[in-house]
Amino acid sequence: MQKFINSLPTEARLPLELSKLYEQFGYQKYCMSKFEEYGFYSDNRDFLSTDGIIAFNNSAGKLMALKPDITLSIVKNARTLPHLKARYYYNENVYRIAEDTHDCKEIKQCGIELLGDVDSVATAEIVLLGLKSLEKIDSNFNLIISHIAFVSSALEDAGIKGEQRRKILGFIKRKNQHDMMLWCKENGIDKKIIDRLLKISSISGNLKEVLPALKELVTDNKTSAAYEELEGICKAIEGFEFFEKLRLDLSVLNHLDYYTGILLQGYVENSPSPVLSGGRYDSLAKKIRGDGGAFGFAVYLDGLNLHYPNKSEYDCDTVILYDKSDSALLKAANELCEAGKKVRLEHEMPEGIRASRILKYINGSLTEVAE
Amino acid sequence: MITVALPKGRLGDKVYNLFASIGYDCSEIYDDNRKLVFENPENGVRYLLVKPSDVAVYVYHGAADIGIAGKDILDECGLSLYELLDLKLGKCHMCVAAQNDYKEDPSRPIRVATKFPNIAKKHYMSFNREIEIIKLNGSIEIAPLVGLSDVIVDIVETGTTLKENNLKVFEKFLPISARLIANRTSYTFHKDEIDSLCSRLQKALEEK
Repeated sequence: MQKFINSLPTEARLPLELSKLYEQFGYQKYCMSKFEEYGFYSDNRDFLSTDGIIAFNNSAGKLMALKPDITLSIVKNARTLPHLKARYYYNENVYRIAEDTHDCKEIKQCGIELLGDVDSVATAEIVLLGLKSLEKIDSNFNLIISHIAFVSSALEDAGIKGEQRRKILGFIKRKNQHDMMLWCKENGIDKKIIDRLLKISSISGNLKEVLPALKELVTDNKTSAAYEELEGICKAIEGFEFFEKLRLDLSVLNHLDYYTGILLQGYVENSPSPVLSGGRYDSLAKKIRGDGGAFGFAVYLDGLNLHYPNKSEYDCDTVILYDKSDSALLKAANELCEAGKKVRLEHEMPEGIRASRILKYINGSLTEVAE
Repeated sequence: MITVALPKGRLGDKVYNLFASIGYDCSEIYDDNRKLVFENPENGVRYLLVKPSDVAVYVYHGAADIGIAGKDILDECGLSLYELLDLKLGKCHMCVAAQNDYKEDPSRPIRVATKFPNIAKKHYMSFNREIEIIKLNGSIEIAPLVGLSDVIVDIVETGTTLKENNLKVFEKFLPISARLIANRTSYTFHKDEIDSLCSRLQKALEEK
C-alpha cells in the first residue's frame, strides 16, 4: 500500500499521509459544507486571511459564501468544553479571490486545529506535527517559529499604534532594517525602541541557539511568558532528529489581527513560498466560543505537484496486450495488482503511456513483448 | 551555488562590479555575447541578466535566490520578499510632476499618467484624493503636454527631461534606490551565506 501511495502525485499523496499522521495523534476528521451563510464570514472578517469571499444568492434569496476558510467553521462548530481539548483535522478546498489576478481560486488545504485547553504539551504537539507534516513533503525543510509578544511589547512601550504600527510591522516582515531605521528617526521614535525593533527583526536561527539573544528582549510579563513558552517548545522538541530544522525568526508576523501568540511558517526546499502557516488564535476562540485557547496550522498543497513532480519514469508497471478476452486474463491482471503492480489491459500499446513491462496475453499465458 | 538576478543595463553593471569585488566574480560576463546566464562554480555564483522590472518576479518565484531591484519596482509589484540591504545606487525620487503653470482643480478627480499605478493610487489614497489612473509604459512626460493627464507620477533623477518638456516637480514622495532582495525560502535555507554576502556588500559600500 505504501508503495502505491508513494507512486501518487504529491498533491494526492500528502492528504493521505497527513490524514494518517493527524489521526495517529488523536485528531478527528472535520468535514464542512461547501456553502455557509455569508453573514458568518462577514461578521468575522477580521479573522479571515482574505478579503475575497465568493458570495452568491441561494434559491431562497439568502446570501451564501463559498467556503473561504475552514478554521472559522471549526471554531464555531466545535462542541468541546473550553477546559478540555478538541482536536480536528481537515482535508478541504477553500475558495477565494486571488489577490494578484482577481480570479476565483480553489486552494487545497490540509490542517489541524486544537481548541480548548492549549497547554504546553498541546503547544509542543502542534509544533511537532508541523515538523512532521513538512517532513512528509521534503526531508529538506524548515519550520519557523515566532511570537508576536516581543514586537507588540516594544510597540506598546513606545505608544506606537494604528498606521505607525502597521508601517513598522511591514518593515520587520520584509527584514527591511535600513528603511525602518530612517522612518523611525524621522518620526521621532526613541533610540532604545529603534534598537529593540532592529534586534527583533534580526533574530533568526536555530531555536536553541537564539534563545540567549531572545532572553535579552524580555522586558515584561508578556515577553517573559512568551520566552518561557518558546523555551518549553525547545526542550520538548530537542530530542527529535529534526530539532535542527526548528528555527526562530521574529520577523514572521503574519496576519496579526488573527494570531495572538506563537506563529508558525513552514518552508520546503523546492517551493518558493511557505507551504505551512498557522499560529495561536485565542481572540477568535474567545469571540465565538467565549473562552479557551486555539492553535492550528494549514498545509497548502497547491503547486506542490509542480515543485515536487512525480519522478517515476513510467506511467504504469505493466501493460497487458490482448486480442480476445477470457476469464483468465482478468485473473492474471489481478494477480499482478495484488503483487503491488499498476496494470493496464489494452488491445494495443496506448500512445504516450510509458510502461516498464509490456506483456502479451495469448492462449491463457503471458509472454514478454520486446519493445 | 547562489543565483543572483541582475538588472540589465548601467545599474546591473555597477552592481555586478560590487559583487565581483567581494568575491562573486564571473569574468565570462564581460564577454561580448548575447548570453543571459553566467556561472562561476568556483565562486559558487550564477547570474541571470533580466529586465529590471522582472528582477522581483524571478526572485519571488525562486528562479533566483537574491536580486537587485529598485524600490520603485518593489513597491509597485508588492510581492512578498525580503529587502535586506539598501545599496544606495541609482538614487532618485518618485515625484508628482505637471506643466509649470498647473493648478489643481479640487472639484474633480486628478488624471494621473504613470508607469506605477499602484504607487500612485497608494500615494493619493493616503490623503483621500480621488484620481483617475492612465497607465502608460514610457514617455510619460508627454501626457500632460497633450492633455492626456493633469499630472504624472514618475521617477525623477536630475529633472532634465521634465525641464526640457516644460514640466516641474510638484511633490517628491518616495526616495528610491537599488535594494538587495531575497526569496523567503532561499533566505531560510541559505541564511548564513546570504547574511555573509550582505555584510560584505555593506562593508564594500562603506569603503567606497
